[in-house]
Amino acid sequence: MPDIISAEHLSKSYGAKKAVDDLNLQIKKGEFFGFLGPNGAGKTTTIRMLTGILKPDNGKIAIDGHPSEDKQQIAKIIGVIPESRGFYDWMTAVEYLGFFSDLYGIAGEEKDDRIASLLSEVDLLKRKNSRIGTYSRGMRQRLGLARALVNNPQILFLDEPTLGLDPQGQEDIQILLKKLSARGVTVFLSSHMLNEVSNLCSRIGIINGGKLIAEGTVDELREKTKLNKDKTLTDIFLHLTRNNP
Amino acid sequence: MLTHIWKKEIRGELYTWKSMLWLVIASLLFSFTSYLLLTNAELSLLDQTELMWLLGKIIIGVALLIVTIDASSIITTEFEKETAESLFLAPVSLKDFILGKLFASLTLWAAIFVVSIPYILVASAGSGLGLAFMGYVALLGTIGVIGFIFLIFGISLLYRSSKNTITTALIILLAFATPALFTSTLKNDIVSQVFSAANPIDNMFNSLDNVLVDYKTSLIDNWQFLLPLVVFCMIAFAILFLSAKRFEKQGIVKND
Repeated sequence: MPDIISAEHLSKSYGAKKAVDDLNLQIKKGEFFGFLGPNGAGKTTTIRMLTGILKPDNGKIAIDGHPSEDKQQIAKIIGVIPESRGFYDWMTAVEYLGFFSDLYGIAGEEKDDRIASLLSEVDLLKRKNSRIGTYSRGMRQRLGLARALVNNPQILFLDEPTLGLDPQGQEDIQILLKKLSARGVTVFLSSHMLNEVSNLCSRIGIINGGKLIAEGTVDELREKTKLNKDKTLTDIFLHLTRNNP
Repeated sequence: MLTHIWKKEIRGELYTWKSMLWLVIASLLFSFTSYLLLTNAELSLLDQTELMWLLGKIIIGVALLIVTIDASSIITTEFEKETAESLFLAPVSLKDFILGKLFASLTLWAAIFVVSIPYILVASAGSGLGLAFMGYVALLGTIGVIGFIFLIFGISLLYRSSKNTITTALIILLAFATPALFTSTLKNDIVSQVFSAANPIDNMFNSLDNVLVDYKTSLIDNWQFLLPLVVFCMIAFAILFLSAKRFEKQGIVKND
């Protein structure tokens, strides 16, 4: 399988603080990659660089072979739930998805069908004509996921997609993500929900202090830490981040 | 692409009670001015062309004020409401984004101009200057509004905050507008004359004076006022261009 996401020697600083430091990442097509790290470790900065929102100070990025400078081309093949959760509150869900469909050049019947199918997938059909300002946090998260899928992306970048959701909301999103992964979509998931990452991801990367300190499957990471088989991803994560400050 | 952003802005910014209220306020101001000019004992003694000049100044002044307030928030709210990141993750370039917003602000100016047309027609009835009056308000207003929008967008991309942008934009507008309201006797010294020659609002008002009071209606007769206006637009564009370059370098998200 070819690498669909490739980052080499990626660095980004904010003043004197190094947010990301010489990070290397290769993610295969169709992979469900979990990206973990404590607060301020550099997860969001990495996602922002990979999605073209932020320019790296150093390093090379290629998304499905496109260099990061080719922002317009990359935007067409990726879907993102960013850390910023802003919506146009005065729009309805249909108008909101319609606006983003327009931006991707999706029009006519295809646009209507896509919107209806996405709203059904994220269970918002009943509230499709309500203003987004009246939506609950969970509904907004689901609408954000629908927006990220509007262009039928090959790669999905998710920055804490279940943050602040109740258990039911979290499960709904996880089921949807499993479905997308089964369809061959490459998923890059950044989350603090270690159970979620453990359940969904085929491979995990752990970042701390801007450096990628470990990478592999849960079993490979356990082996690296020499922890017992009964130890969970939470134990592995804590062990790794405490020993690699 | 910019058409979709323009349409979104028109729906979200202009088809709102806030914008409608602005248009009503503009209409009330024009009505009040016209009423005063026709009924006030002293003002009604003014020559018709003087009355037209006063009305023209009020139309342009009100439009500049309203467009300044609107343009100060049209870009910054995307950052304050955290919608900018999602927008720029779609295949939207900064150029499309700025042009979409520019056209939306110009639409507001166009709406104010349309509201002013009946007042222009009534004030100029019988003078033979109706078309010239309307044409010059449209031309000078459009160039001036474009210049101010460029400047305000440049400031918006620097600050990314509505509060700071609107404060700075209003100070700039006042700095240009206040001296323009002084009579020519107060502009006798060289500093005032140089500032007046470079001041876009002064040039808009002086051009209207030239057309309506001195009957010099051709563009050639007004080049000395139009040229500084165009230069102002070019300087404002340069500020926007540099600000956009800095914005692109910093990225959509300023700090983490």
